[in-house]
Amino acid sequence: MHVVLEKTLKNASSYFQNFFIHEYSSKSTLHSIDARIKLLGTFLFVILAVSTFEPKKLLFLLLSLILISAILGLSLKNMIRRVWLFPLFSFAVVSPLLLQDIGYPLLFTLRVLIAVIAVQMLVMSTSFADICSALRSLKVPEVFVHGLWLAYRYILVVFQDIINILLARESRRVARGSHLELWRKGGEAVGLFFLRSIERAERVQLAIASRGERIIGSKLQFGTLEAIYISLSAFVALWCIAL
Amino acid sequence: MHIPDGYLDLSIAALFFVLTLLVLGYSIYRLRGERLTSLFGVLSAAIFAAQMLNWPIPGGTSAHFVGGALAGILLGPYAGSLAMAIVLTIQTLVFNDGGITAWGANVWNMAIVNVFLGYYIYRTFSRYNKNFAAFLAGWLGITAAAIFAGIEIGLSTSFAYGLSVTVPVMGVWHALLGVIEGIITAGVVGYIATRRADLLEKKEVGKTSFALIAALIALSPVFAYLAEEVGYAEPLEKAAEMIGLEEEPIYEGLFPDYTISGLDPYTGTLLSGLLGVLIVLALAYAVKYARGSRKDT
Repeated sequence: MHVVLEKTLKNASSYFQNFFIHEYSSKSTLHSIDARIKLLGTFLFVILAVSTFEPKKLLFLLLSLILISAILGLSLKNMIRRVWLFPLFSFAVVSPLLLQDIGYPLLFTLRVLIAVIAVQMLVMSTSFADICSALRSLKVPEVFVHGLWLAYRYILVVFQDIINILLARESRRVARGSHLELWRKGGEAVGLFFLRSIERAERVQLAIASRGERIIGSKLQFGTLEAIYISLSAFVALWCIAL
Repeated sequence: MHIPDGYLDLSIAALFFVLTLLVLGYSIYRLRGERLTSLFGVLSAAIFAAQMLNWPIPGGTSAHFVGGALAGILLGPYAGSLAMAIVLTIQTLVFNDGGITAWGANVWNMAIVNVFLGYYIYRTFSRYNKNFAAFLAGWLGITAAAIFAGIEIGLSTSFAYGLSVTVPVMGVWHALLGVIEGIITAGVVGYIATRRADLLEKKEVGKTSFALIAALIALSPVFAYLAEEVGYAEPLEKAAEMIGLEEEPIYEGLFPDYTISGLDPYTGTLLSGLLGVLIVLALAYAVKYARGSRKDT
């Protein structure tokens, strides 16, 4: 079981590092823009990126997103740290085709890179609470958005639970055991974890009932800032389409 | 198995958005009136945490648990698919694990195909042996989800590899790794059966709904093929054509067809691209200065 624990903690630490970066990154101009506008802008930029293979359009889009991020206060260094893996993986997947067509793997990777940058612009400048507010405001069903927000808030709590369970079982283990034994015993540990989670869910539901169902507060606003950002996004889209 | 942005043609991505929203919308409709906020929240978080466990496999590598079939067995297919959709949405919006345009396809594979198929396999075989049924549900559920992912990217012209590559690669690999998913699912279900057997009781699904959702799942590759045949991989350019942007360029006087008279087309396009970038720069600075009017700054 110690292998599971070790590998899991290693994996989780890098995952959770990502988890917190966007919540605590310094406030930029992009942070001040209404989350709904940023969410829709992200969709627009990603759709633009994945709907063409034309180098001039992709380069224009890439340059525009980098400029917007830099001017509106996002750290490009942080962004590169967060996005490099996805295009690299994509390039590795299509690199066997380099011999047949040198352009395709590069353009394919560029599309992925632009899409990931567009999503990172949202993630690095918007708290998850604001994303949930935006989703609710865009008429995504309440039960889904509230579930989303609660899940986000409870991930660290329940992760601590599962680590505690695995540690307790590891400390009681005597024999080494085969892989099959490890998976079976591990399955039981995860079973206990799910039972505890269900019981926790029941307690949380009671707490929600006693406090009232309103879970997500709203900080949405629309003003000059949003209007100019919409103009900016619309210009990028139109220029990109017509270029 | 999370498909990133850029791997799917927009026609296929849009199709799976529609199919996914149909099934998730119906699931929400079926669960109306039930107070499930915390169940979705906490159990989605639990599935997310369980997915972080890295199970060692012979040969020094490791695999992680997905939990779609388990979600279906524990919560029923409707609540299970919603819980998995929540997990996948967080992975997309926080960790970039799976693309925004591919959200529909990812949820379809891992929260609908995996959950519904897993649930029905478990229901079919649990009368003989619960552990074996859970193993089959976990194993076949994840394998089917991977095959669907292979079909979606294989049909997309944006991704250069065809079905003959993507389906075997995704299917065979996940059929092997899926054995671990099956064993862990069986372990979890076996443990819960001894402690809280009531959680494994049959959930009401409805025969007509089952038949419709099963038909949608079975036919979705055909729909994807047809969507690809429609062939609108570049809808924004089609939109540009429709509203006449290409025929009547906005800056006709300065840059007809985004070229400059007297210059070769490449230099003209480069200059018009640079002009676009300069306008982006100006608008971005306008946003920056408009922030000053915001009280929360």
